[in-house]
Amino acid sequence: MQNIDTVTLELIKGAIRSTRSEMEALIDRTSMSPFIREKKDYFTAIFDKAGNLVSSTNLPMAGNLIDCILEQYPAETMLPGDLYWYNDPYASRGAVSHMPDMVFVAPIFHDGKLFAFAEAWGHLWDIGGMMPGSISPDATETFQEGILMPPTRVYRGGELNEEVFRVFIRNSRFPEIVKGDVKAIMAACRLGKKRMEEIVERFGHDATVAAFEFMMDQSEAALRKALDEKVPDGVYSFRDYLDSDAVTEQSYGVHLTLSKQNGSVSFDFSATDDQARGAVNFIMDKSVPKFMAGLYLTRDDPNIQMNSGFLRAIDEVKTRKGSLVDPVYPAPLGMRSHTMIRVNSAIFGTLAQATGGQASAASSCYVLYYLSSFDRASGEFELCIEGLAVGFGARPMADGIDAVYYVAQKNYPVEFAEMEFGVQIEGYRIHKDSGGPGRYRGGCGIVRDIRVIADEATIGLRLDNVKYPAWGVNGGQSGRSGRVVVNPGTPEERELKPLSDRNVLKKGDLVRVTTSGGGGWGSPLERPMEQVRDDVLDGFISNDSARDDYGVVLDEESGEIDVAATEARRAGMAGATGMFHRRGYFDGLEEAEAAE
Amino acid sequence: MSQYALALDVGGTFTDVIMVEPGSGALWTTKTPSTPADPSEGFFDGVDKVLGRAGAAAADVTSLFHGSTVATNAILEAKGAATGMIVTDGFKYVLEIGRHDIPRKENLYSWVKPARPIPPRLIMEVPERVQLDGSVARPLDEDACRQAALRLKRRGVQSIAIVFLHAYANPAHERRAAEIVRAAFPEAQVSVSSDVLPVFREYERSMVTALNAYVQPKVGSYIEKLSGGLKAREVSSPLLIMKSNGGVFSPSRAAKRAVDLALSGPAAGVIGARYVGDLTGMKNAITIDIGGTSADISLIENGRAQMTNDGEIGPFPLPIPIVDIHTIGAGGGSIAAVSAQGGLTVGPESAGASPGPACYGQGGERPTVTDANLVLGRIPPHLLGGEIPLDTERAERAVRDHVAEPLGLDLHQAALGILKIVNSNMVGALKVVSVEKGYDPQDFALVAFGGAGPMHAGDLARLLGTRSFVIPPYPGILCAMGLLATDLQLDYVRTQVQRAPNYDLAGMEATYAAMAEEAAADLAAEGVPPERQQSQRFADLRYAKQGYELTVAFPEDVVTAEAVAALVEEFHRRHEQLYTFSDTDAPVEIVNLRLRAVGLVDKIDLPKAPAAEGDAKPKGNRQVWFDDKGPTETPVFDRAALAAGHAFAGPAIVDQADTTTVISPDQRARVDGYGNLIVTTVRG
Repeated sequence: MQNIDTVTLELIKGAIRSTRSEMEALIDRTSMSPFIREKKDYFTAIFDKAGNLVSSTNLPMAGNLIDCILEQYPAETMLPGDLYWYNDPYASRGAVSHMPDMVFVAPIFHDGKLFAFAEAWGHLWDIGGMMPGSISPDATETFQEGILMPPTRVYRGGELNEEVFRVFIRNSRFPEIVKGDVKAIMAACRLGKKRMEEIVERFGHDATVAAFEFMMDQSEAALRKALDEKVPDGVYSFRDYLDSDAVTEQSYGVHLTLSKQNGSVSFDFSATDDQARGAVNFIMDKSVPKFMAGLYLTRDDPNIQMNSGFLRAIDEVKTRKGSLVDPVYPAPLGMRSHTMIRVNSAIFGTLAQATGGQASAASSCYVLYYLSSFDRASGEFELCIEGLAVGFGARPMADGIDAVYYVAQKNYPVEFAEMEFGVQIEGYRIHKDSGGPGRYRGGCGIVRDIRVIADEATIGLRLDNVKYPAWGVNGGQSGRSGRVVVNPGTPEERELKPLSDRNVLKKGDLVRVTTSGGGGWGSPLERPMEQVRDDVLDGFISNDSARDDYGVVLDEESGEIDVAATEARRAGMAGATGMFHRRGYFDGLEEAEAAE
Repeated sequence: MSQYALALDVGGTFTDVIMVEPGSGALWTTKTPSTPADPSEGFFDGVDKVLGRAGAAAADVTSLFHGSTVATNAILEAKGAATGMIVTDGFKYVLEIGRHDIPRKENLYSWVKPARPIPPRLIMEVPERVQLDGSVARPLDEDACRQAALRLKRRGVQSIAIVFLHAYANPAHERRAAEIVRAAFPEAQVSVSSDVLPVFREYERSMVTALNAYVQPKVGSYIEKLSGGLKAREVSSPLLIMKSNGGVFSPSRAAKRAVDLALSGPAAGVIGARYVGDLTGMKNAITIDIGGTSADISLIENGRAQMTNDGEIGPFPLPIPIVDIHTIGAGGGSIAAVSAQGGLTVGPESAGASPGPACYGQGGERPTVTDANLVLGRIPPHLLGGEIPLDTERAERAVRDHVAEPLGLDLHQAALGILKIVNSNMVGALKVVSVEKGYDPQDFALVAFGGAGPMHAGDLARLLGTRSFVIPPYPGILCAMGLLATDLQLDYVRTQVQRAPNYDLAGMEATYAAMAEEAAADLAAEGVPPERQQSQRFADLRYAKQGYELTVAFPEDVVTAEAVAALVEEFHRRHEQLYTFSDTDAPVEIVNLRLRAVGLVDKIDLPKAPAAEGDAKPKGNRQVWFDDKGPTETPVFDRAALAAGHAFAGPAIVDQADTTTVISPDQRARVDGYGNLIVTTVRG
């Protein structure tokens, strides 16, 4: 390959970034489902011709999205104007990890030669399955989670494969909005293809391909350097737990051993528990933990993009067939995020041990509910799927994020939700005291009050971190748990299982979902008193927590800090006795298990 | 008696002043340092200085225009007033929670949520509830409202925002609450969401109302100072202030709708560029204003600035009608750096005015875009016509140490690399407003201004593929010039959702008529007589189930079935143009009706340039690097000596007091009747 100057490479890198922004803007503006148009559950990427990820949204999910297409349709059989789609997690070996995420891929040619792919995926509103919305906490096999589309060519040389399109759309309870979203995502792929064609036209094939390598090299070098500087050689193990798999009472552990020897890094998940009966199984592509560690360790450099360069910097990822992160067909997968979040916290747990606590505390897993009803008179389904925020883990340099869902995804405005769904939202607040106390406080979860307007409805719930709240680190304490209560404060008050489905509700019921917070970082006794007071004033923590967790005494009348009383109280309080905290402090993995 | 039109654009660093005597065509300009601590000082320094230059009396100023950054800076620097908020019971945290997302371009592990203009402790909940159809589910608890106002008074707030759920559907509770707050706490300024932005989506409406309340006291006291100073100088002309929508309004209206000033300065620049386009007959223009730290970019189609209802200011949404300006962190002061992985980046970090580029010799060590321009001979080794010398050696050292050596390039290759990167960043942004919105740059002229615009315009025009670029006679003060070319402009909006085929023609007509009536009254209150009032109807449309609307001009003055059909047709066309596809089978919803009311202001005819006698003569030559093959002996022209009709071929440099225009070997320049430099690229 000829030597292309740095300036040209940077120009192409910039042009690829703009291409993706433009693809995303198109989906944003033209999609139709609440999930894509308001929640923004869509992502875009550019791959090289071998299927290496060059540029994508900073969302640490699978990077092998092209492989399964190339296996089914060898590169030499592809034509300009082709478009491929799939949502089959098993056929794609976890490239897509649950079925509502539909992947679309356009091959891109220059002078008749394939040189890149434009890809976009979006979470479709409903693709059939046992419950409206397709994901159900009650699922016990993948066939209950909707229609499976293996890698398939939906456009051939610009010509729509009408049959496959019709079959797919027919399987949705909401065909019109699924069709609208699919059109928007396909248009985005075609736009990405067009822009990449312009780039290769302007800079030439060799320079463009060299820029792909350059971008991956940059990310690889940045991660290697960070691993070198921040992670000493050694073997570190950690285990984190999911509350349950929704259909049994069993909790599941994700276990990671991180080893680093002479610059070679390995992630071994073999000791993770066996796969679950419920839908928390996660076909974890090897790229997932690498992307998580890569994004975390290079977080201070905005020029680094998440791409296949990260994959080269970490040598090995091991999983055990039949385990929670490598499940055997046809295990259900709808709620794989609950396991994915623990993969992330297990990585943080090992990094904390490797770095003397210089890693983030655990974040809670985002929450969803599925409120559905069927109107017999009109023969129409009503469905409200709402994503709810949680608290993220505190970091060595900042508080955890309060009331946050995940990368790029937005809540429904109350005024939108009431217009669109049979609900009335009667409260939307911060879940006070849910953030783990610490020098840096864990993020707080939220409280959402949802009044049912339909005559009868069922609700599916995905609230985690109740039994196992997000742990704190380096002296920080764990976040505090959420819960789901129907008709709180009334004689009909009842609690719902936080991971459950087909809970029956009637008109006028009020469902209060209270979500879990993130873990804290560092000793709460070292948090500046003024910040503790401000948190009390702003309702993130209570007076009691200020006194009991942070040792800060506030004057009952004025709310001002009693400095002398605070100093005396803090001097008398016991500090941390272990690296991690969940209910009590503990150090390594063994204590963790003893503490549970 | 002489009459003068005076315009002041108060920017972050300088206040630009322009004064025109329409009778004689005489024109005076000046620049004074801005005074951020009390911006009115810089304003009056400018007024006094330009009057002194012209030997004019303040009383002879008959029109007075002003662009201001008071609101912008208060928001971006979080220096607004102590502000409280009153909200529906249960919804205290709407502002804090926002849309619960980590922005798409951020790293989830390092992102920190930006502090809101109002902390939760200053947000009070009161019992009340309006439903989405406007009906009242729970009456307003008036006593709780009063108590909330009194509590906020005790906490020392100056300004209060009132935001209730679904107030866009029925503003009664908000209005009553405002009365109660005003009675209980008369000193407080009050902003009401159903006045500021009566459309759905509570976070966005809350934020824009909060921002209005947050900047209102500052804007109010600033305006008072201006009025006092003008009175003292016996200026009797009314003051008109530039809004973010490219129109002007009176100080009394600005004091109530302070958030409309958020993008006052950049909007004036776009209007200035539109004026240049009008004069040169170029109705289609892409505009770029390049300053020290940032570049503001917009597009003018057929003499009309593109608008958006979906803007941003800093990290916050700004969903009010504003001129669609895309801003990026690229300017003369942008710093070039080589990353640990060997990549070259330019900006967004900027050396700003202090220490400034290395060549300023004020302690800046790192190379900037200006240093690269100097190393390549594109700008002269001094600023402001020789007042401030530039240090070429320091510029060379900075480029060599920080870019050339780490990348193994020679000095000039490195400097050219810096320009290529920054130009490419700007072209990316130019494409955002053009190619990405379905406009072909070939149909547009690039109008470049700001201190650094003319240096880059030649490269940008070639990279973007515009036919030509235009450098106005005073590129450094085009924003001030734009102030002289604007009209009063007020925008009205009502949400009225209707789905095909059930469009309520009579209902729409009634809504438009009601807005027109309100507009006529508002314009009359601004002193605009009926014969100078104009209005234009717009509607926001989308395919049913979509979440975004496109604003389309309503084709007729009355709502008829044919007009609505034409409106829908135009929506399909715009959708196709913007998003590559349309769906003529899908039902189309009309969501909002909009009315833009204009009160015409007399335009100043700019002085004409003298006609050329003979050919343009360069004042000398300079060694200029256009590519890495070596320097080219390049003639340097003095802008002041150029006259209408002059024409010359590149390579050429045109120096003037506040900027330098670079014309490449493949470009040709000519001077038009107004002194605009019009440069075309000769395609090989």
